[in-house]
Amino acid sequence: MRKITVPIGPQHPLLKEPLSMKLEISGERVLGGTLRLGYVHRGIEKLAQQRTYVQNVHLIERICGICSHVHTTTYCSAVEAILGIEIPPRAQYIRALMCELERIHSHLLWLGILAKHVGLDTIFMHAWHDRELVLDIMESISGGRVSHAANEIGGVRFDLDEENETLIRTNISKLHDQVSGVLDVIENEPALQARTRGVAPISTDLIRQYCMVGPIARASGLDVDLRRDDPWPPYDRLDFNVITHPDGDAWARTIVRAEETRESLHLCEAILRDLPGGDVTVRAPRKVPAGEAVTRSEAPRGEVFYYLRSDGSDQPARLKIRTPTLPALSLLPEQLSAINVADIPVVLAGIDLCIACADR
Amino acid sequence: MIEGLFFLLFFPGLAFQVVCGLAFEWLDRKLLARFQRRVGPPWYQPLADLIKLFSKEDLLPKGANHLIAALLPLVSFSAVLTAGLYIPVAGFTPFSFEGDLIVILFLMSVPTLAYYLAGIVSLGVYSVLGGGRSLLQFFSYEVPLLIALSGPAILGQSWSVAGIMEAQTVQGPFVIFQPLGFILAIVGLIGKLKRDPLDIPSAKSEVVGGSLTEITGTKLGLWHLLMKVQAVVGIFLVINLYLGWLKYLPAHLSILVFVIECLIMVVILSVTSAVFARLRIDQLAGLGWKILVPLALLQIGFVILMGV
Repeated sequence: MRKITVPIGPQHPLLKEPLSMKLEISGERVLGGTLRLGYVHRGIEKLAQQRTYVQNVHLIERICGICSHVHTTTYCSAVEAILGIEIPPRAQYIRALMCELERIHSHLLWLGILAKHVGLDTIFMHAWHDRELVLDIMESISGGRVSHAANEIGGVRFDLDEENETLIRTNISKLHDQVSGVLDVIENEPALQARTRGVAPISTDLIRQYCMVGPIARASGLDVDLRRDDPWPPYDRLDFNVITHPDGDAWARTIVRAEETRESLHLCEAILRDLPGGDVTVRAPRKVPAGEAVTRSEAPRGEVFYYLRSDGSDQPARLKIRTPTLPALSLLPEQLSAINVADIPVVLAGIDLCIACADR
Repeated sequence: MIEGLFFLLFFPGLAFQVVCGLAFEWLDRKLLARFQRRVGPPWYQPLADLIKLFSKEDLLPKGANHLIAALLPLVSFSAVLTAGLYIPVAGFTPFSFEGDLIVILFLMSVPTLAYYLAGIVSLGVYSVLGGGRSLLQFFSYEVPLLIALSGPAILGQSWSVAGIMEAQTVQGPFVIFQPLGFILAIVGLIGKLKRDPLDIPSAKSEVVGGSLTEITGTKLGLWHLLMKVQAVVGIFLVINLYLGWLKYLPAHLSILVFVIECLIMVVILSVTSAVFARLRIDQLAGLGWKILVPLALLQIGFVILMGV
């Protein structure tokens, strides 16, 4: 059969963010493809060197629209590590609460996109409807649905009051029901399983070889989670299960992410229960002494890595950001070969790319 | 002559079919929206969409054959409208002859072939992919659909839709004797209409817009209109073949029953598209030939045994 080259991206209904793929297709079979990146490269690492540490918090927030909070958390803890200050326990808990809310909303968003790509719009609509509950919580406590501006160096910028806590409690208990309902549906939906089971499997060896992290690694049976393996406070005091699945295919990733949403809901409840009193900020100096720091945290998609070097001024000398999408992107061309055209959306949705994070 | 023109242009021809098509589409979209916790469109939305499409600029890629691209939707539209003329509406049939079921089924497959050709002549990558998929899908659902639809014909001992409908007034609705055939007919209909979950040829996340990716303006509007009318004709056909027992009811009652049956069909189609994920084309081929065809044959065997 004649080979044709099908462009996917930079604009395509399948992609929410710009990415360009040129796929060789013969009939309904994808033979292989090439990948082009960099459509949303904004030079954030360089920009960070030209701004003060305080300004950078707002710059870093804009790396990604979904996991913005975990980026600033990691950045702030790197600065705080060089400064040698410890933030108040209440601020730690509020940061973790935002992280978990972000994970819930990211996973629900992802579930919706996967469902949409396999033609199951009902699940898409329901998942995104439920996601609104999380966004409502975020809006009520921070004023922003997407960018929360929650972190500052030395703590968080707002406190939780009685009203916020009630809203969080009611919305979380609603979400428990909704997520269970959605999980029930996807576990019993034969067509969704037929579309995802056995599609784009990644072996544990390949995961190790490409340094894959996060839900993808856990869905391939690799038991990694920074919240447990290298906990930053308050995760060392919180109890939760790390969800793994042995299969490594798109279906396993669906289940892992859905179950993780549930764990995050439990974590939110635990954080609210244990929430200590006291201040939410400590004063941090504007200038940071010379030194370097490495911080890591578990974003919804896996490990986010920050390296920060300071030369004693009020601007960073170097800020290096490594996001979990990077290893997933390097495996993408391999995953996109020898599959059906109909499986392209499942492969792409299955690895939950965040192009804005990867391009920075 | 005047009467014939009235039949062609108003009832049960063009105007009636188009109005039904718009109404069914609105109902379908509204129901689907409610299943998905959305508000859904107002009643005039399908018409508004159509007017907007007709007012848009008509473009084709360089090198595409404009004449054929314009003829394809016209030919298909007239084919489905013609098919609609032979199908009794609430027991009313101006034109009917022995064997019109076969003519209807032939006319109903014209749009599928035209859809394939539209993909080829408009020269887009996604169009070609979508066109190829529509043919593959055609081969998967058409055979079980044809076998299933011959069930009522055998039981009613007629190859005319009106004849089959009349046979049911004596024997009772055929859905009772052929529940399997009824389900197969609905699956086939979904495949024919390229509706979710069998919207494989036009799956947005896979082939963008399928065959119609490069088609714009009036031509796209015509394609959408003819697919709406095709849905009406398909629904009327299935109702007449499986639920057509209302010939000797009083006129107003038979219209009411017919409307209710149409509503039931639209609800069935909406629910199906809400609860199932899209199949892969190889999965559909497997489903068609390994499951639907044997089931259809089983149904036929049962019908023949019943007839004896």
